[in-house]
Amino acid sequence: MKKRVLCGLLGTVMAASLLSMSAFAEGDSYRVAYIARAQSDSFAAWLANEMMTATEAYDDMTLDVFDGQADDEKENAAIENAITNQYDAIIVQPNNGEAQRPYVENIVSAGIIAITTNARIDGIEGASSVDADPYAQAAVNAQLALEQVPENAKVVVLNGPSGNFHADKRREAWQAEFFDKRPDVEIVGEQIANWNKDEAVQYMEDWVTSNDTIDAIISMNDNMAAGALEVVSGKEEFADILSYGVDGTAEACLLIEEGKMTATCLQSAIDLAELNMESVHKLLTGEETQIDTDIDAVLITKDNASEYVEMYKERGLLD
Amino acid sequence: MNKQNNKNKIMEKYSIFIVLLIMIIICSMLNKNFLSTGNISNIMKQLAVATILAYGEMLLIISGMLDLSSGAVLAMAGVFSVSVYKSTGSLLVAFLVAILFGVICNLVNALMVTNFKTPPFIATLAMQMVARGIALLFTKGQNISQLGDYVVFGQGTIGPIPISIIFMAVITIIIWYILRHTRFGRSLYAIGGNEEAAIASGINVAKNKYVVFAINGILVGVAGVLFMSRVNAGLPNGAVGYEMEGLTAAIVGGTSFSGGVGTTLGTLAGAFIIGCLNNIMNLIGVDSYIQQIVKGVIIALAVIWDIHSKNKKTAKVILVEEKSEGK
Amino acid sequence: MEQEIKLRVSGIEKSFPGVKALSNIEFSVRKGTVHALCGENGAGKSTLMKIINGIYKPDKGQIFVDEKPVKIQSPIQARSYGIAMIAQELNYVPEMSVEENLFLGRLPVKKMGNVDWKLLRKKTEEFLKKEGLPYGASQKMKTLTVSDIQMLEIIKAISNDAQIIVMDEPTSAITQREVDTLFEKIAMLKEQGVSIIYISHKMDEVFQIADDITVLRDGAVVETHPASELDVDKVISLMVGRKMDNIYPKEPAQIGETLLEVKDLYSDGVFKDISFNVKKGEIIGFAGLVGAGRTEVMRAIFGLDSYTSGSIRKSGQEITIHKVADSIRNSIIMLSEDRRRYGIIPVRSVTENASIASLEKFIYGGYAHEKEERETVSQYFQKMNVKTPTMETAIQSLSGGNQQKVLLAKWMLRDPEILILDEPTRGIDVGAKYEIYKLMTEIAKDGKAVIMVSSELPELIGMCDRIYVMNQGKISGELKRSEFSQEAIMRFATGTR
Repeated sequence: MKKRVLCGLLGTVMAASLLSMSAFAEGDSYRVAYIARAQSDSFAAWLANEMMTATEAYDDMTLDVFDGQADDEKENAAIENAITNQYDAIIVQPNNGEAQRPYVENIVSAGIIAITTNARIDGIEGASSVDADPYAQAAVNAQLALEQVPENAKVVVLNGPSGNFHADKRREAWQAEFFDKRPDVEIVGEQIANWNKDEAVQYMEDWVTSNDTIDAIISMNDNMAAGALEVVSGKEEFADILSYGVDGTAEACLLIEEGKMTATCLQSAIDLAELNMESVHKLLTGEETQIDTDIDAVLITKDNASEYVEMYKERGLLD
Repeated sequence: MNKQNNKNKIMEKYSIFIVLLIMIIICSMLNKNFLSTGNISNIMKQLAVATILAYGEMLLIISGMLDLSSGAVLAMAGVFSVSVYKSTGSLLVAFLVAILFGVICNLVNALMVTNFKTPPFIATLAMQMVARGIALLFTKGQNISQLGDYVVFGQGTIGPIPISIIFMAVITIIIWYILRHTRFGRSLYAIGGNEEAAIASGINVAKNKYVVFAINGILVGVAGVLFMSRVNAGLPNGAVGYEMEGLTAAIVGGTSFSGGVGTTLGTLAGAFIIGCLNNIMNLIGVDSYIQQIVKGVIIALAVIWDIHSKNKKTAKVILVEEKSEGK
Repeated sequence: MEQEIKLRVSGIEKSFPGVKALSNIEFSVRKGTVHALCGENGAGKSTLMKIINGIYKPDKGQIFVDEKPVKIQSPIQARSYGIAMIAQELNYVPEMSVEENLFLGRLPVKKMGNVDWKLLRKKTEEFLKKEGLPYGASQKMKTLTVSDIQMLEIIKAISNDAQIIVMDEPTSAITQREVDTLFEKIAMLKEQGVSIIYISHKMDEVFQIADDITVLRDGAVVETHPASELDVDKVISLMVGRKMDNIYPKEPAQIGETLLEVKDLYSDGVFKDISFNVKKGEIIGFAGLVGAGRTEVMRAIFGLDSYTSGSIRKSGQEITIHKVADSIRNSIIMLSEDRRRYGIIPVRSVTENASIASLEKFIYGGYAHEKEERETVSQYFQKMNVKTPTMETAIQSLSGGNQQKVLLAKWMLRDPEILILDEPTRGIDVGAKYEIYKLMTEIAKDGKAVIMVSSELPELIGMCDRIYVMNQGKISGELKRSEFSQEAIMRFATGTR
């Protein structure tokens, strides 16, 4: 009987010491979890990669990436798991802000540092946010278009998936900053192409058929703008077509450099990732307690496109 | 009586083409551009990928199976093909690579279905996930751009005719020939109509299933090349849900989900019905949400009409037979 | 001892499209007795029992329980009158537990409508314990043996306070020891005043346990007697005692050399010691009761199933058959007993159904010669007298007889030397039967060998030159035409000497 108690005691001591050792081992570096919206979404995947890269600059931080699989249920489960695993900080890229809101609140009430990014969730007390402002991103394009689009122009509009925060905000900016100020402009086609290039191709083919002239393509992202341009490329009558996107993808930068596309606004995954890591580090070390910040909305036009093409080449995303 | 019979026969055989004809007439009244050469060429270009996938689905459904992986395998074969082109510069090699990967994935499907007796629904669903995952892993989720001359497959023309349309036409003829004029084609109908009877008639069912999956693989590979070159990018996320477009075209075109029934031209008509519908709604600027509703309703109506006109015919046959036996 | 009548049926009639299954049935069972029901396959035993169990509705007639008229319209209703049926093919859900199966359809529920698992477990365990059954309530049904399951069915019946239990061929799938257990159980039930209707082909069993015996033939009751007044011979002759009609166009055939010789064919657990031969111009028959293994032997020879050992020789040459293509190559064909399952491709045209086994004749040189195909097939259709509205008609809209003729045409297109016809006339009307017999005669006259498996003794006797009889997976006898009699066949088939 005594022996058994002794054995039990010994075991407990060993387990406890092991635990404390591992806690100590973890203790000298902060554990950060990043819950990505979807690894199958090309911008989200790029952002996740850049997050990993940006973490390398900090010796005292490690980053684990989890995939929300473009599904609220899975994303929420990933957040819950991260809370259970007692990460020091959790960065959430929401799939749908409102669906993740209570879970981010749980992070805060668990005493863990919370950041929402790339579509921030507004108004969570105690949570920080790092984002690119989707309104500003579209607005810089819209302000440029205000000058460039000719009088009584006919334009087509390509939208992102309905209900998507960035899709809605970008469209809102175009409405307020451009369409409301230019009642002379006529929208001859507007469809949801779900950020997809192939869907945009199809819509544009049909619009080209039903309209003799189209003066501008107004797209809520670069993928769709590039798809629409694919249809009119090499067509004389559309040689002067204007086109606006958002994201500043490699392809768009290249098209702008070649003079095929008009403008886009850089949503740089690199900047976003670096700003995220910088913020989370400040929060972890206690330098600051709450941060709400945005990366700059950089307009890319023919004047500065080559700069970004260069950047993409360095990163191996262009050759 | 005889005339009535003939009329019914025509209805039975051509009901889906009548639906298409009616649609074309209505569409041309709705928009003057609908029947323009440019627009017809547009419709066909837009249809090419879905139609080619639909033929694969049709062959599989006829033989009592289906493929839920075609959209994902298309993307995987497409991004491999694109990146091979970028590193070798050879259109031929790139084309063959797409077909190779399409066929490999489908041989795995066939292995699952015939050797491991997995239901095709599950086997190809699993393949859908695996293939999509491989495509994303290979590209790290990023689009491949700057395809250069690769776009010739999807955007080039020979004379005035777009190359993608030529692909679609040639494939249509080949599939028609296979189904109509080969023992293999006939065997597919038998296998889907009654697999055990096919075995008892001496047909090598397993071998035929491998071959039909392999053909599906070739079609998916070709579709992958056309898709990627049409959008001038290697999209690992592309063609999500395209298997449904293929399935829908095949089913609307009169292919029976219970197997043993389906024709190449019916499937082509099914694809055209869906293609014209999409096209006309964009031409006249129908709102996105309403488009979905209209599409669902029209597809349901087309199938109801098709089944209805066939059933009437079947009822007649039984009556005729009973009479003749009564004599 | 005169006991009260528990169940009585009076004037029961039942027709199915084209067939009169039962006519004017008078039948009664005394309380606390075993009443055996005998008759050939198709004599109407199962139909009668299904009527008593409420699965079929009689066209006419009345059922009385305890001499009170009752209307039984469903098995659930039958159960409420104390009638339970233990079917030949046991009905159970293999993936569900013993307790769930036992109380299937009447699981105890709590107030809220959710299943009371505790009560279920308790009730089940009580039963199992009372009956001394060696398995747990939570065990999956599929882990039990056939006799276990059968026992469970009986318990299920008793647990439901059944007063009349119908047992349809209860011993067809269990061992002798298990049969003994079953009989003990039956004796116990009798003592408790339960009446049992016992259907069996096995004469020795019937005479072992039956108090009364009723013989059915062609859907009518022939006679009912106390078992003590009958013997095996008498029952068999009552069962088969129909007049031979002259509907068999058999012609004496020129019998030539041996074409197919099967020796010591063995398939583990299915059949063994199968040796037989068939000569050119000969029609041989395979008789036996359902489940004797006749179809299984034929499926093995045709390459649909595999066999463990043994040899098959054709014209003296040893041949190996692994798949259907092998047998077809050796000019052996088989017309399956289950036309819908193994024969027709329902949605395809009659032409395609006929040509599917000989496509190389019509699809050659790079394309399908559809006109040639249609013409050739239609020649065969004429020969076989197939009635079809058009050559494009889907085979499913033809009558059973015409479907069968199309399938025969399909195989005749290959000009086979050896034809295995498994129940070739099942489910088709008299006229079509005659045509098939005529075709068989012509085929034999052509110097081909025909093997006919049939459960209809008159047609075997009418058409065959020799008959092999099978019993429990073995050939139990061989009869020459001069020795043919239904009594002789039945003796071999039931395993009584």
